[in-house]
Amino acid sequence: MIQFDQVHKTFTGGVHAVKGVSLQVKRGECCVLLGTSGAGKSTLLRMVNGLTEPTSGTISVAGQVVDRRSMLSIRRQVGTVHQRFNLSPRLSVLDNVLCGALCRVGTVRSLLRLFPLALKRKACELLAQVGLDESQLDRRAADLSGGQQQRVAIARAFMSDPILILADEPVASLDPSTSRRVLDLLRTTCQHHGTTILCTLHQVDLARTFADRIVAMAHGQVIFDGTGESLTDEVEQSIYAAAAKQETKSTSEATADAVMRRPSPLEVTCD
Amino acid sequence: MTEPSPTPVASSLRDPATWKLRQPYSAWHVAALLVLMLLLIWSGRRNEVDRTIITTAQGVAYSTGLTEQSELSKGWSSFLGQALPLIFAERTDINRIEGFDAQALPPLAYITKESQRRWDVLSDAWVQEEPVQYLVVPYGYILRVTQLMLQTIEIGAWGTILALLLAAPLGMFGARSFTPNRFFYTAARAACSFSRSMPELILAMFFVLLYGFGPAAGILALGVHSFGFLGKFFADDIENADPGPQEALRCTGANRLQILRFAVLPQVAPQFLAYVQYILERNVRSATVLGIVGAGGIGMELKGRWDLADYGHVSTILLIIFITVLALEHLTQRLRRRLI
Repeated sequence: MIQFDQVHKTFTGGVHAVKGVSLQVKRGECCVLLGTSGAGKSTLLRMVNGLTEPTSGTISVAGQVVDRRSMLSIRRQVGTVHQRFNLSPRLSVLDNVLCGALCRVGTVRSLLRLFPLALKRKACELLAQVGLDESQLDRRAADLSGGQQQRVAIARAFMSDPILILADEPVASLDPSTSRRVLDLLRTTCQHHGTTILCTLHQVDLARTFADRIVAMAHGQVIFDGTGESLTDEVEQSIYAAAAKQETKSTSEATADAVMRRPSPLEVTCD
Repeated sequence: MTEPSPTPVASSLRDPATWKLRQPYSAWHVAALLVLMLLLIWSGRRNEVDRTIITTAQGVAYSTGLTEQSELSKGWSSFLGQALPLIFAERTDINRIEGFDAQALPPLAYITKESQRRWDVLSDAWVQEEPVQYLVVPYGYILRVTQLMLQTIEIGAWGTILALLLAAPLGMFGARSFTPNRFFYTAARAACSFSRSMPELILAMFFVLLYGFGPAAGILALGVHSFGFLGKFFADDIENADPGPQEALRCTGANRLQILRFAVLPQVAPQFLAYVQYILERNVRSATVLGIVGAGGIGMELKGRWDLADYGHVSTILLIIFITVLALEHLTQRLRRRLI
């Protein structure tokens, strides 16, 4: 489904974020990219739908190489879920979901908010699937709780009948029990639609529970690739040992890493 | 749990009692203040600020009975003497009304007969003129002023509509995230700066030259003067909008206009509304003055009456302007609160 071939990315500041990643994600797989912040997993994800351009190497989605020409058609087939939900806060829940299908509607019709009834029905169906009901249709997105907002965002991502869902830290701004429920929902929805997932996470226990396959990254390189069971404590140690080294380099990132490294007992007890 | 006590480092940790504290004022502040005062004195002498202060003080002293005469009191009493009472009625010479029908007068109107004395230069004496019949409508003048005020509001509103139409594309082209290229960006920003730098009174004079006397010149002057403000505000707000929703929509393959409509506009709409409200209010206030150069509205009447020293009429006009501006402010404020 997705193929990374010797992908490098160097930012203008000289940061070498991704160093020669080669990876293949199979159709229908739920693949989790694990790593600390700064490991390059978000950059890798952003290169799939062309938000960031690789310095060298190629990426292809469903046999199509990602470049300027194919970008639009790839974006239409790929749904995205973001860390900060990225809904329009003052639009209604229904309008936010319909935004996922803007490329299916003519520009003039969409600017006038004249969406076809079929699309509206589909949006309602998706909202029901993610566990929202009729009473929430006309509420403003900003009035919903974080978990509900991410549910709306998931519904929006499925509006374009995607073959692939990219989720960049989808639960990083949610509390542990909501995180589990949202991830569970994301997974079951994908199974229901037969969609592949490529998802970044930084909590090892969540990755173990939800991933068919875990790819761990540190310093822009893949350091582990396998199932949740084969991810031993030693490997886990090595992922975060890399972060500890980084900690001494930059103090600003250190706090974020420290928070992440702490195994949180809450996540187990809350469920 | 005890906090590990920091190990004292000789160089950086001195006794707090000996820490150096900065003085709030320095010699520089005193020097700057002195220079500023000298500058103000020099400029004040050039611009008659001293005379203004003395005349005002005299006026205050006169009104409290401390002095016998004042420069201000003369002008003030000559205005006040005629400004009050306000004039609400309109008197028209019946002979000047075409097809006058005494049977069908407007409601509450009546006819008076007056004869005026005239100083005849040839005979060097007062001459009694033929009595003239006047039609007096007690609310006639206030009706006329209200109609003119309505026209003024309309000029302001059309000026705002014109500004809005011009500012909408400029706001988009002037925002770095939505401009097609650098040329459009620079052109849009330059157009906005140009528009803001043109005083509306000068623009009105110019448009009177092109379009003749009347509201058209006023509308154009206001529109051209205010689109720069709106365009700049729109562009700045679009640039500063939260990029998160925009990126989310870009990921779905939406085009630029769609992103603007669904990710940016909902965010900036409240501010946009506030700007438009402010511009509308300002335009109506400006429109009252534009008439002075012949660009329609109440200003024309105001200028005419002022030149004829009809201060009673002038104060009626000022009263109506005051009431209108007050009402408009109140109304737009409420409307905005309703819409947000």
